[in-house]
Amino acid sequence: MPDFAEQGVLVFFGENAPAELHEFSIIHTPDVQTRAPQVGDTITLADNTYNVLAVGSVASDNLLNLGHLDLKANGLTEPEMPGDVNVEAVSLPVVKIGDRLIVISQP
Amino acid sequence: MGEYKSVVIAAGKGGWGGPLTITPTDDRPYIYSVTGGGIHPVAARIAELTGGTPFDGFKSSVPFDKIAVAVIDCGGTARVGVYPMKKVLTVDIHATSPAGPLAMFITPELFVSGVKPDDIKEK
Repeated sequence: MPDFAEQGVLVFFGENAPAELHEFSIIHTPDVQTRAPQVGDTITLADNTYNVLAVGSVASDNLLNLGHLDLKANGLTEPEMPGDVNVEAVSLPVVKIGDRLIVISQP
Repeated sequence: MGEYKSVVIAAGKGGWGGPLTITPTDDRPYIYSVTGGGIHPVAARIAELTGGTPFDGFKSSVPFDKIAVAVIDCGGTARVGVYPMKKVLTVDIHATSPAGPLAMFITPELFVSGVKPDDIKEK
């Protein structure tokens, strides 16, 4: 399995995702799902904060239906793929059990 | 022993790959829907035409070697490559092209995208 994190990609799925998706995903318990991240929101993950630069067309359905998020630290302001949520091109943290991902909307 | 028929699935508008011929067998009977909200209409249509068994991957799982075809609603990064990597025929309802960490596994012999129910034809 190629290393997603090395390529600046973190994949999240809700806990009912099938087993074959677990080996490269961060399995989490989705909480308070009203909408997907939008451009201008910030995401905090394991005490780091990132600015949302672009959001693909199916990112919202992914998150609301499946708890699924493709977080890409690529610095791109246009989504390459419909599921993408892009943030700055920085190194993403090694996520540990108990860490939280929080989306903060900006007024 | 089941009675199975074949379908041919072509890429839809803006899609990539294929066409794929899907023929379930007694060894590989499952139309595996790895999509939100139950069995996707594309998976339901394939099951209806072929006689395969629709199966919701978010409810429980089956071994890869029992899957006739995986139907996904992948936005282009992860699921899009997982099933081709396991040599499972894969239909993405979104119009994606090979990309992401698993792009090397996505070939037109294994993968077709942008598929709507109307892109599925009886053979």
